[in-house]
Amino acid sequence: MIKTRSLTKRFDEKIAVRDLDLDIAPGEFFCFLGPNGAGKTTTIKMLTGLMRPSSGEAIVGGVDIQRDPIRAKQLLGYVPDHPFLYERLTGREFMQFVAGLYRMTDSAFHQHCDELLETFEVLHVGDQLIESYSHGMRQKLSFASCFLHQPQIVVVDEPWIGLDPKNIREVKTYLRDRTREGLTVFMSTHSLAIAEEVADRVGIIHRGQLLHVGTVDEIKALAPGRGKRLSGAGELGSGLGSLEDVFLELTRQAEEGAAPVGGMQYES
Amino acid sequence: MRVRSVLGTILWAKVRVALHTLASVRQESKLKVAFVSVSAGLLWVGLFQLSRMGFRFFEELASTVVGVGGLSLSDLIMARMLSVFALVLFVMLVFSNVLVSFSTLYRSREVWYLIASPISLSTFFLGRFYECVAFTSWASAFLGSPVMLAYGLESSAAAIFYLALLAFYLPFVVIPAAIGSVVTITAVRFLSRHRRPVWLGIASAALVGVFVLFRAQVGPADAESTPSFQSLIVMLTKVQSPFLPSTWLSQGILDATTGAIGESLFYFLLLLSNALVLVWIATLAAERWFYAGWSSLAGGSAVKSNRRLVVSRVLDRLLRHLPEPTRSLVSKDIKLFWRDPAQWSQFVLFFGIMALYVANLGGARSFAGQESWRALGTLLNLGASMLILASLTTRFVFPLVSLEGRRFWILGLSPVTLRHIMWQKFWLSVGTTSFFTVGLAVLSAIRLDLDRTAFVLSVAGMIATTVALSGLAVGLGSLYPNFQEDNPARIVSGMGGTLNFLLSMLYIALVAGGQAIVLFWSGVSTVLNGVPYVWAVTGAVSWILVVTVVTCMLPLHLGLRNLERAEF
Repeated sequence: MIKTRSLTKRFDEKIAVRDLDLDIAPGEFFCFLGPNGAGKTTTIKMLTGLMRPSSGEAIVGGVDIQRDPIRAKQLLGYVPDHPFLYERLTGREFMQFVAGLYRMTDSAFHQHCDELLETFEVLHVGDQLIESYSHGMRQKLSFASCFLHQPQIVVVDEPWIGLDPKNIREVKTYLRDRTREGLTVFMSTHSLAIAEEVADRVGIIHRGQLLHVGTVDEIKALAPGRGKRLSGAGELGSGLGSLEDVFLELTRQAEEGAAPVGGMQYES
Repeated sequence: MRVRSVLGTILWAKVRVALHTLASVRQESKLKVAFVSVSAGLLWVGLFQLSRMGFRFFEELASTVVGVGGLSLSDLIMARMLSVFALVLFVMLVFSNVLVSFSTLYRSREVWYLIASPISLSTFFLGRFYECVAFTSWASAFLGSPVMLAYGLESSAAAIFYLALLAFYLPFVVIPAAIGSVVTITAVRFLSRHRRPVWLGIASAALVGVFVLFRAQVGPADAESTPSFQSLIVMLTKVQSPFLPSTWLSQGILDATTGAIGESLFYFLLLLSNALVLVWIATLAAERWFYAGWSSLAGGSAVKSNRRLVVSRVLDRLLRHLPEPTRSLVSKDIKLFWRDPAQWSQFVLFFGIMALYVANLGGARSFAGQESWRALGTLLNLGASMLILASLTTRFVFPLVSLEGRRFWILGLSPVTLRHIMWQKFWLSVGTTSFFTVGLAVLSAIRLDLDRTAFVLSVAGMIATTVALSGLAVGLGSLYPNFQEDNPARIVSGMGGTLNFLLSMLYIALVAGGQAIVLFWSGVSTVLNGVPYVWAVTGAVSWILVVTVVTCMLPLHLGLRNLERAEF
């Protein structure tokens, strides 16, 4: 559902994302992990058409987002870390605005609007101006608007800021349930615990390079001191350590320049 | 099943936002709303009266000159005045559209949202373009309407004049907006952000080019060797190039007024067709170049710039004698200002306008022989310089506190008092603006060849005004901060910014009144029989000092109290 081929973004001399190859299947919940400045947001911006890649391609739902951006974006939903919302619109007016952008019919809008506002618990403030919303309420409205046009793929950038634990659980559950119905989720997060809980597969990026991709168990199997070793990687071993241990070890090795990236080799 | 068009949706949302913004006025302080409304009304009426007096003056001047072949010279001069007004409006709209289209197309936060949506670039552009047109044309409509009403009344125009005005205005304002968008989109696409000196050079060259062209077209180069009325007619005639939209506007409206409907329709269609073609060209430019330019602009800040480091070092060196934390605060404010193209580009434009103003003052020396003209010239120069300062402080100083925005907690948590932060912003404003405005006062006084009293009055008046208006802008900026908005132009366009500008005008009127007593003493002394000149000077200076202290200190006090009560 999401494919990238040698996706690269350069800012003059600096390479923010280098030769990224990803292949994410329909209905998959994919978590993208990496330290600050690793290239997660740049990748998301290229996937959503917010930034033009320097080279390579990003394909969403079988459509190259650079070649046919409008068709690709019809398939996409996007929740940014700090959502932009028109402060001087009401929540319902904002939903109506989004419906218009996606060319939804009035009946489709009315069918889904209140349902989503209720699901994300902002129905009671639907007729209030967004400027009166708390950060969490804005984030929930952002989620509600993202699902309004029934996207096939949802790209979420660090969505937990401002949400309370109850809301976090509800959003996680909602996303998980929707993936069972065929929705593909690409989520960038710093929260390793959440990634461990919800992700089908995890990708770890550091300094613009993809270090590893695999299921949570495959990644955890790389935990230090448990038998398996990575060729040239030194410390990593096998066994089910915590995702946090593996993440820290992989990024540490990459900083020391020891780890081969992309297609890592295992040896028993 | 009804599906609203995407462009219709975007415009619908904008109208809703505008309506909610208007409705939110109910939540503002009633005193503030009343003051702003009354002041705006007075400003409108004042402009109307001033324009009426001006048009009447030219009409009377024309009536003293014998016409040729039964041609009414007063009609001729009134027609030419309309062309001048239209040309000035057109040039101003082109400049303001270049600036506004940059922030609307590239800097606004909703651009990110819209680009992520499945809308074509042409739809995106048109949505933003209409916003640009509305944003840049409302002020010209507000300030232009009293001038045009005065013109209509003084030239005894029929009702069709006002109808034609309304019909011609829309295509007329679209043309500079389209030109502004094309210039901005092309510049962002092809000029690297790392080549700021190139940008500055091009902007300066464009400004000088416009000035030279304007001088060549309308400049009274031989004003001293020909009779003033003839030179006025010649000068006014030169602004009527058949290639200028301002000519189409003025000629079309005049033709409608005189009943030449066919000619009027021709000019209307000329305006409309050019507006449509230019919008089409701007849309093509957006489709072709916007995304690439925006994409490179969005990601360029990751790169280290050696030049930026050098500038930082020079700045730090210049500020090294300031104590901490003032040095850090000043350094931060200056760096943020110069790294924001929306800020420095407008500042350069202000500077250019000031330079043009000083360069043009030479022509006013021809009035130097008559005392009343000389006093009037001095007072008008003071008024113009103070108005430039009022625009500077409203546009650049008023938003300083608001621009701290969501970062205010950093200052709030630091061991620096809010009083210290406010005074730092006040002195930064006084220091930077006085460099330009006091320089302007000195230069213009020299250009006008003022005597010693008028010279001292001009320069001292400008220093007092700089202090007063800086205090007013920092104070009101703290009293009515807008921490949600990152765009300084939009912060200024709110109620607080409007109030700041209106109070600045009030201050200028009060100070100019004091100065007028001294400058027109020979006339005033006949009314105030027996009052010595030195008393008049002392009275005027005391008045200016009192008004200055109140204008500076009261808003600062109220603003500080508001910030201390605020929760971040």
